[in-house]
Amino acid sequence: MTSFLKRWHKQAPKKIKINRPEFSKQEPVAAQKVEKPETLTQRVMKKALSGIGVKFGLVWVGILVIAAVFAPFLANSMPLVMSLHGQISFPVVHYLTLEDWVVLSAFGVMVLVWLLPIRHHIRVALVLLLTIPAIVGLLVHWKMPPKPLVIYDDFRQAPYTQADWRIMPPIPYAPKDYLRDYGDTGLEAPLAAQERTHLMGTEENGADVFSRMIHASRIALSIGIVATSISMVIGIIIGGLMGYFAGWVDMLGMRLLEIFEAIPTLFLLLTFVAFFGRSLYMMMIIIGVTSWSGYARYIRAEFLKLRKQDYVQAAVASGLPLSSILFRHMLPNGVAPLLVAASFGVASAILAEATLSFLGLGLVDEPSWGQMLDQAVKSSTFNWWMAVFPGGAIFMTVFAYNLIGESFRDAIDPKMSRRAGVSA
Amino acid sequence: MLTYLMRRILLMIPTLLGITMVVFAVMALSPGGISPQSLVDGAMKPNQRQALMDYYNKRYGLDDPAPVQYLRWLNNVSPIGFTTNEKHEITDFSLTKGSDLGTSFAYGRPVSEVLAERIPITLLLNVLTIPLIYIVAIVMGVKAASESGSRFDVSSNIAMLALWSIPTMLAGVLLLGFFANVQHWQWFPTAGIGSRAAQDMPYMPHWNSIQDALKFFGGMIAGTLLMVWLSRWPESKIRIVIAALFGLVASVAMAQDHGQQSIAVWVLIPLLGMLSVGGLAAINYTPLRVLGLGTFGLIVGGALAYQTLDQGFVRGFLMDRAWHLVLPIICMSYGGSAALTKIIRSSVLENLNADYARTARAKGLSQKEVLWGHVFRNSLLPLITIIAGLLPSLLAGSLIVENIFSINGMGQLAVEAVKNRDRELVLSITLISGFLTLIGYLIADILYTFADPRVAYD
Repeated sequence: MTSFLKRWHKQAPKKIKINRPEFSKQEPVAAQKVEKPETLTQRVMKKALSGIGVKFGLVWVGILVIAAVFAPFLANSMPLVMSLHGQISFPVVHYLTLEDWVVLSAFGVMVLVWLLPIRHHIRVALVLLLTIPAIVGLLVHWKMPPKPLVIYDDFRQAPYTQADWRIMPPIPYAPKDYLRDYGDTGLEAPLAAQERTHLMGTEENGADVFSRMIHASRIALSIGIVATSISMVIGIIIGGLMGYFAGWVDMLGMRLLEIFEAIPTLFLLLTFVAFFGRSLYMMMIIIGVTSWSGYARYIRAEFLKLRKQDYVQAAVASGLPLSSILFRHMLPNGVAPLLVAASFGVASAILAEATLSFLGLGLVDEPSWGQMLDQAVKSSTFNWWMAVFPGGAIFMTVFAYNLIGESFRDAIDPKMSRRAGVSA
Repeated sequence: MLTYLMRRILLMIPTLLGITMVVFAVMALSPGGISPQSLVDGAMKPNQRQALMDYYNKRYGLDDPAPVQYLRWLNNVSPIGFTTNEKHEITDFSLTKGSDLGTSFAYGRPVSEVLAERIPITLLLNVLTIPLIYIVAIVMGVKAASESGSRFDVSSNIAMLALWSIPTMLAGVLLLGFFANVQHWQWFPTAGIGSRAAQDMPYMPHWNSIQDALKFFGGMIAGTLLMVWLSRWPESKIRIVIAALFGLVASVAMAQDHGQQSIAVWVLIPLLGMLSVGGLAAINYTPLRVLGLGTFGLIVGGALAYQTLDQGFVRGFLMDRAWHLVLPIICMSYGGSAALTKIIRSSVLENLNADYARTARAKGLSQKEVLWGHVFRNSLLPLITIIAGLLPSLLAGSLIVENIFSINGMGQLAVEAVKNRDRELVLSITLISGFLTLIGYLIADILYTFADPRVAYD
């Protein structure tokens, strides 16, 4: 039986090949295009990626990813490379935190997996396998004793200044380097400082705004992606169960959904954050936990449609376990609207973090865009560079994700795709 | 219909129970929880601290287990329940005891009293904002849909997405920083919804002489008329040039008023003024152009006339209030109208492509009649869904705006309540906003029957 199945599997592609020559006899030009039949996913991707808006969005997100991953190399007080008495050293690498290592290695693995010519499910397995050490690393980092303080002023003193040669990062200031050794620190408008160049000025404590912006992109992106994944997982599980079982499970689930939808999200978030801690990881979890209701609704609606389909009935009849029916058979067919919702979800998660930080309930010691905006409001005078740059970054990021989400929605929706505004 | 209503209202009760339970659970399960420790701070002797904590424990029953606390709160809030004595012992069951929202920890006053102070302020903001959102959104959305694929549609679509993405705090901070600041233009107040001095003023604005009043209104009317006349000029190139000149003049006056005179100001502001007013004149859609340029004329005419007034002018309570509300309302409305525009556009577009619209066109109706007589009514359903969402946003939507502009409304109260860990206040706000949301859904469902006779509940 199994050998028969195997043979059948092997023969399947041959059948298609037999058909092709006939087709090419009639229309040789078209046949070259039909070489590989276009799947729905490919078509949607092609259509979605054809617009200007989505390209702009992807470019901006790409810039953010680069900035977030390489933040310590882009903006730091210590030299990238320097040679002291003939000895070459890499101070930036030496001072990298565990978090930096996790982010860098995760990025490296992603790029490798993307570039290597391996099959799809091996890729997925590889990514999953390599995220486990990353998560463990983060957990260890969370429980680790605090690191010894890095005194940035030292990098502008004796051994570092006497180097034979050294290469500084493009922005030679760390985000928490308050430049106390200069004495004249404090607010500086962009390019107003005499002996240094601050492209975006400095904030009230004297730290470089551009450097803080680059490091804050890490928080914004990670909160956006992690919080959205958390809420998607919760939404898929709850919505999937509701849609699959219907009946009283659906009834109960809908009440739960209604409860979470009837509390204004921002207020629920505020309550969570005010009563629980303010760490980055807590914030991701909280934003994720408070915003799953939309995903659950989408998935429920899709699964209610799918549950009576023949292939689902066949899967049930052949005795597959529930998780296999739900996630291997039904989910891939109901996932399209979810991806659109996820793109908008990332935008709203970034906005939620910024809002919380702005209301003074965000991270305390790490620079984040919302917290920088809050700083701009709290200061006694209005300094436009403290508001415009972080606020503009929030705007651009939210705009980029909205553009991406919009063009994917237009591409998926057959009615709207003909005359889509953005992706047209 | 009546049975349907009754059923819906009865179904609200478990949902409301669930909502308050979720919020209470968050408070009770958090590290620290709801304990007197969070209420007592400041330097105190240990025995004093203990005494104060005992007092709070006794007064609010904070030393009881969390479920007991929740049930007690529930009993107090529900209009039917047990009556209790001073020691929290049940004495009697009563159907008419009335509901009591409790006493706020932080304010030491009944919650209902605190809420009664705050709700009108938030209500005022929203009553002004919601119609504005709807008018802008309907004008823009219907226009974009009826010309789908045109330059106006594509550009308005991107512009609306951009507007929607501007975080409210950025808009608020920039508006405050540039237009309510000595460093730039001190045209608007920085905080609150009314100045102290306005409390003693008469309600309506007051002028010294009839000439002054005439001058003021005359200036506004003349500016508006001039700009409306210009905006209807048939030749677009001449219109744009003249409008840009007006913009130049207005922005030179604006640059003169700037707090820090510098070359950058004198270059940037006139350039921006020319571009924006010229851009208004370049809009291809007449109603929007008339509206834009007319508003510009109204503002400039009013401002110029205001400069020439004598000292005897008293702006009065009403104008003072309006003056304070300009910036907050801009902040509250732009995002909502952008989102709504997109919704209306897609809804109208879908109906314009429907068979019945084609039939209407085929039988010889004009595009206008098809649009407003047939399509618009059928596109109302999503608008109604949004109304349902707007009601709870009466409370939550203005949270950020109230925080930026220091307006003491419900949003501000909500932030203070969670920051102070004020159990009674947090639960009451949750209850009210949850109730408003559910009522909003109900109203939307009832409105569906009016918009679409096919929807019926029995």
